[in-house]
Amino acid sequence: MARDLDYEPSAPKTIKKSTGTKVFEAIAYTLLILGSIICVLPFIIIVSGSFTDNATILTQGYSLLPRDFTLSAYQTIFKSPKDILQAYKMTLYYTVVGTGLGLMMITLTGYVISRKEFKYRNTVSFLIYFTSIFGGGMIPWYLMYANVLGLKGSTLAIWFPALMSPFLVILMRTFIVGAVPDAITESAKIDGAGHFTIFFRIVLPVLKPGLATVGLFLALGYWNDWYRSSMFSTNSSTWQLQFYLYDLLNATTAMKQMASNVSMKTADLPTESVKLAMAVVATGPVLLFYPFVQRFFVSGITVGAVKG
Amino acid sequence: MKKKVLSALLSMAMVAGVITGCGGQATQSAADQLEAEGVEEIPVAETQEETTEAEAPAAEAKELDLSQQVDLVFYVMGDAPQDEELVEAALNEKLLEKCNATVDMQFSTWTDFQQKYANEITAQSADLIYIANWLNYGQLASSGAFEELDEMLDTVAPDLKALVGDANLNMCKVGGKIYAVPNTWAEYVCNGVKYREDLRAKYDLPVPDSLENLEAYLLGIKENDPSQGLLTVTTEESQGLKTGFDAAWALNFKYNWVANNGLDYGLAANYDTPSDVYDYWYSDDFVDDMKTMKRWADEGFWSKSALSDTNNSDAYKNGLCVAEVAGQNPNKQITAIADFENAGQGWESAYVAYGETNGVIYPGHATQNGTAIVRGCKDPERALLVLQAMLCDDEINAIVQYGIKGTHYDVADGIYKNLQEEAGETPTFPYEGFNTWNLRNGETKLPQKTDVKLQEMFDKYADLGAKTKFPNVNIYDGFSENYDSYSAERSAVSNVMRQYLAPLEAGLVDDVDAAVEEFRDKMKEAGIDKCREEYTKQWIAYCEEYDYK
Repeated sequence: MARDLDYEPSAPKTIKKSTGTKVFEAIAYTLLILGSIICVLPFIIIVSGSFTDNATILTQGYSLLPRDFTLSAYQTIFKSPKDILQAYKMTLYYTVVGTGLGLMMITLTGYVISRKEFKYRNTVSFLIYFTSIFGGGMIPWYLMYANVLGLKGSTLAIWFPALMSPFLVILMRTFIVGAVPDAITESAKIDGAGHFTIFFRIVLPVLKPGLATVGLFLALGYWNDWYRSSMFSTNSSTWQLQFYLYDLLNATTAMKQMASNVSMKTADLPTESVKLAMAVVATGPVLLFYPFVQRFFVSGITVGAVKG
Repeated sequence: MKKKVLSALLSMAMVAGVITGCGGQATQSAADQLEAEGVEEIPVAETQEETTEAEAPAAEAKELDLSQQVDLVFYVMGDAPQDEELVEAALNEKLLEKCNATVDMQFSTWTDFQQKYANEITAQSADLIYIANWLNYGQLASSGAFEELDEMLDTVAPDLKALVGDANLNMCKVGGKIYAVPNTWAEYVCNGVKYREDLRAKYDLPVPDSLENLEAYLLGIKENDPSQGLLTVTTEESQGLKTGFDAAWALNFKYNWVANNGLDYGLAANYDTPSDVYDYWYSDDFVDDMKTMKRWADEGFWSKSALSDTNNSDAYKNGLCVAEVAGQNPNKQITAIADFENAGQGWESAYVAYGETNGVIYPGHATQNGTAIVRGCKDPERALLVLQAMLCDDEINAIVQYGIKGTHYDVADGIYKNLQEEAGETPTFPYEGFNTWNLRNGETKLPQKTDVKLQEMFDKYADLGAKTKFPNVNIYDGFSENYDSYSAERSAVSNVMRQYLAPLEAGLVDDVDAAVEEFRDKMKEAGIDKCREEYTKQWIAYCEEYDYK
């Protein structure tokens, strides 16, 4: 429905562009192309490095295309695929559960504190913002989850702490205020809608860009997190993917460092190409995920409930 | 207006949130802060202490009431082995039988382990815990993180006390109380010179076991093969307050207190008379030694850019240098032997410990690998009993250290053999798979194949160490300096060392006498006197406390 009313920016093709516009577009395109090259280049080097023989990297440096093509780095990582697949599975689980529940809670909170008829909305908002400035610190945070809530070792400790963040709640509130003018909710109210109807039938449908943004933030946060595994996991079968890979690196460096003082066997350090292959394995899925969410950002700008 | 102020405040709040949110979790400063907090804020479980005291009768060796099963948590460093549960089940079967207790091993992993270790102690969720000097054992013990063991060792674990011995337990004392039980495997990490035995024999050169012989060895190689690199020394092994350049470690042949041994700030004390502290940097010996260094540098023993070079740890392995003088230990020598064997070029590596020449040699400090009972432990006496079983009971000790016989390992001619490794598989429980270096029992520890040569070296050092004034006691590593009151002077001194001492020790100055004078003046300006005074006071107090006189 909304599609029909869309105006593509370049729709009026019959109108000739002025020189000013042409110059502007030329500059804009050049800058954007340069910008995207700067963003993409390092990643290409990482991917190419992960397919290069380690000795070649050490002697000849990095290149855009792999010089001595080899899959040995990936063979090393997937030597015991059980562990890495388990880590993948757990990360997927944390990301899906965390993003789903988190999105629901953030949206509901955002809706409540955006309502003018909620008398204490400023107090509640302030309490939420307050936690973004003043935190209890590391130790109390740890003690809260480990001792008070007794979550150490459980998977709950890994996804629960990151369900909501003040920043995302504020963001969502702003989205709701911007996307749903008071006039609409008021008219719905006059028609006899309660808060649930308003939220699910009026607010949610026009909130897609907001949901996509906040959801992406949440999902990325969950996907990239390793810290909570590090703090709360007592069993490697609950590890997040990022922590699995990160710990692989840390273990070998720590071993090497300690070997100078203590008698112990040192494992082989992961080579340059293995490190790069790890980066590819860890970021790959996110790269695939991004383009699908991105269209919501673009369409979001032109979709609205109040037209004309 | 009000709205504007509010929104400005809110946006500030958001920026602050983003900044703290990003930086707060993993940065070093947070970790430091935590460590400080962790050390100070350990809640002392008063009630716990009182009840144990009330229960413990003054009598000797009492019978413990074992009717109730106790489940203990043992916190250790590193990553869990794959067969953790299997080995734990076997272990607990034995422990239930002997102590009516079970143990759950928990692992720190190597990520952020220092921070997590502090958390673990603050949260008091573990009962038994690995301790080491590199995990701030002394500081933690003095802030009340661990249970005192003095009395309990007599009443609950006399066997353990007898096994470990008073000398070792004495080294674990903090403020006069024992808080940890060390392992009983004497490990020598004595510094020395690693050199190429094949080249020495080929050119018929002396064994580099003194300053003169080291010089003759290097000169001989230079004469016979001018293109061969001699030493790859840098400043990287000399980051403390003892030396400024790695080549100076060779002075260990002359004095027994250089580099890793001995005192900071150019102070010196002979091993036999540790509380008799004297000065080195302002003595004539220092000038003579710096002239030796200059002579070596002029002979081209090391690169002219050595001060700015970065350490190439593979230089020796690849034949780029013929000796290493800094940061070496017997274990690295064993690695070098294996590397040369793999390279298959007929190269040979040999090792001379400095202590073999200067007569002072000792094993690692007792607090290098030990076990403590965390304050707030469910049942400290049972925990100690379990610890005794894990160290003294051969059967239990073997399960903890090597896994299940026949599944994970076997013993052939008294040597440990990992069955899975031999079959070409990844071991599911490697040697010391629980990382319990603190449960090494010197009497029963099974050697691995590579340990045979290592043990030969250790035996040699143990004989030498037995002849010193403090037989086989490391008197240095138990000391920790508290520099709160002079940290500014300390960092100034450190800077002067980097700037003036390093080039002196690297022989990269034109006039040694003038450079020494300049170095001494700069040191005075930096406040060396204050550092020395405070440091000496603390050191002498330490010697008094542990009776190193």
